[in-house]
Amino acid sequence: MLGFNILKLLSYLFLVLFLMQPDVAHATQAHSYPEGLYVHQLAHFFFILSMATFIYWLRERGLSRDKGWRLLQYCALCFILWNADAMLAHYLESQEGLFVTREQTTLDAVLIASGGHTAETLIYYFAKMDHLFCVPGIIFLYAALRCFLAKARGDRVK
Amino acid sequence: MILPLFPIWLIDFAGSSLMIIFSFLCVHLAMRLFNQDRENAVWIYFLWITSALAVFAISRGVGHVVKDLLIMSGRKDIWTILQPYSGAFNTMTFVLVASITLFFERVWQINQTILRDKQALQDSHGQILYLNRHLEDLVMERTRELRKSENKYRRIFESSRDMILVTDQDGQILEINPAGTDLLGFSKEKVENNACSFKHFFLRQEIWDRIVEELLAKGYVSDLETELIGPEGNVIHVLLSGSVECLLPDNGDTFDVVQTTDHHDVKEFFHFLVKDITRRRAMEQQLLQADKLASIGQLAAGVAHEINNPLNIILGYTQFLIKHESEGTDRYEDLRTIEKHVRACKNIVADLLSFSRSTRTRKQQIDLHECIKEVINVISQQFELDQVRISTEFDSRVPTMILDGGKIKQVFMNLFMNAKHAIGKDGLITVKTLYDQDAGQVEVRVEDTGCGIEPQNLSRIFDPFFTTKETGKGTGLGLSVSYGIIKEHGGEIKVESEPGKGSVFIVSLPVNQ
Repeated sequence: MLGFNILKLLSYLFLVLFLMQPDVAHATQAHSYPEGLYVHQLAHFFFILSMATFIYWLRERGLSRDKGWRLLQYCALCFILWNADAMLAHYLESQEGLFVTREQTTLDAVLIASGGHTAETLIYYFAKMDHLFCVPGIIFLYAALRCFLAKARGDRVK
Repeated sequence: MILPLFPIWLIDFAGSSLMIIFSFLCVHLAMRLFNQDRENAVWIYFLWITSALAVFAISRGVGHVVKDLLIMSGRKDIWTILQPYSGAFNTMTFVLVASITLFFERVWQINQTILRDKQALQDSHGQILYLNRHLEDLVMERTRELRKSENKYRRIFESSRDMILVTDQDGQILEINPAGTDLLGFSKEKVENNACSFKHFFLRQEIWDRIVEELLAKGYVSDLETELIGPEGNVIHVLLSGSVECLLPDNGDTFDVVQTTDHHDVKEFFHFLVKDITRRRAMEQQLLQADKLASIGQLAAGVAHEINNPLNIILGYTQFLIKHESEGTDRYEDLRTIEKHVRACKNIVADLLSFSRSTRTRKQQIDLHECIKEVINVISQQFELDQVRISTEFDSRVPTMILDGGKIKQVFMNLFMNAKHAIGKDGLITVKTLYDQDAGQVEVRVEDTGCGIEPQNLSRIFDPFFTTKETGKGTGLGLSVSYGIIKEHGGEIKVESEPGKGSVFIVSLPVNQ
């Protein structure tokens, strides 16, 4: 029942976000360049919501007291952080005039901040290292599954 | 500020590779979990989500690596073409992962329902298996319990001193315990042949009809006092309680009589508990008699004492007047008549005092047989004139006893005279003695072949002044006095009689008095 309500809520959210852009409010429309980025960003947002919902369910049912489910909860948290980081990186990437890239075709490629955008460039630089969040996330998932497998074996032996 | 991009590329490359490797390891683990229990919905869910994650990891990892390689190799134009496809596919894959994640709650609920049902099925299966394996033992155990229970109730039924019987509505005896067959005097075989009807044992048939009516109306009868006919035609006083059991002939279910209105073709059975109270009734009668005689005795003693003194004065003055009167005169004769009747009155008073046990008793060691013989010697001659014979059957074991010889002789004199009066002419009086060593008492039976005593007179036979003789032939004090004397010796006097056949007076005297 709760799952159904969440899906319904997300559907309404998408609809509201869509209607909030009056310049694309046509019966049929051409898919211009920024639309792909918006869709991608919204997908990240959807991923964050689903992971947050997942954590909420785990905690509501008291499953997080169990080691396997607790690891799964950490996995979901890592993916939330990864999505937030990715959204930030995509956003900064889409901004004009924050930084430029030189020597892109060599291993000596560098990122040069435009005047007055040092902080944004620095944030973008570290946000680009998003694997630092998603790799621990999947490792937590792996550990959780190992834990479930060990428990399932133990139950079977009993 | 200038920042090198190499660390980003390095992390991209290594991270993408690790993502792909771990995502496939996760698929592998999820597959193993699924293989452990293919009916577990959560494991199926994990298989879905890890598979989606693997696709996502490939899409993203390959996208990143290809991008880096193409840019490094100076083929950015190719990447410009591939980039929208890579981004779109990547978007689709993590939307897929996110969507599957949202199904977790529903999958969990389904799995819990399945587990509950599975557990219930396993429990039922376990119970069925247990029953299958132990059915024989369970049946045996139940049979043992039933046998034990049956034995317990059978013992009660068999060993009960009261009659327990089951009859049908017509009174046909279906089951009866040994106490019942003893009481009614027939064999168990007769019951097995369905040849016994309980209603024929009732002295009054209308009582049986009343019992049946009450049982069918109320379902029970309790503590009904009635009379049954014994094996020798004797009357047995009983206390009867009964209840009804209704039986459905098709399935054998039993239920209460009150519920029978809803059922047709039911068969009623009556269960009776019958207690023989004949002895109790006799004892009650005796107690009643003793109580009555004790009351009369007290009254008689009081009256006798009050009359005795004036009689003594009358007698004294009469004798004084006689002394001063010349013999042969009319006055002398009148005084003699007064003296004679006053003496008669004194004798009656003495008898009353004797009945009420107010006179002194002088007990001494005597031979009871000698005592009886002396009485017989006195009366035998007179009895022989009327062809009344006296025979004796003395028990040689009777010891000497401490009794008031004179009073005991008076008792037997009274009994013999009464027997003679009942016989009239030509008859036999039998005197038997019996020594009961265990009870420590001697029983003397005086049997006659006389006219017997009417049943309605039996309860009054020891009452003072009660007599069946003609007026003037008896005072009605003989048996009362005898009763008083025997009671005074701690004994009992009883009578059994059948009109037309004769009577038996039974005197019981304790030996260790």
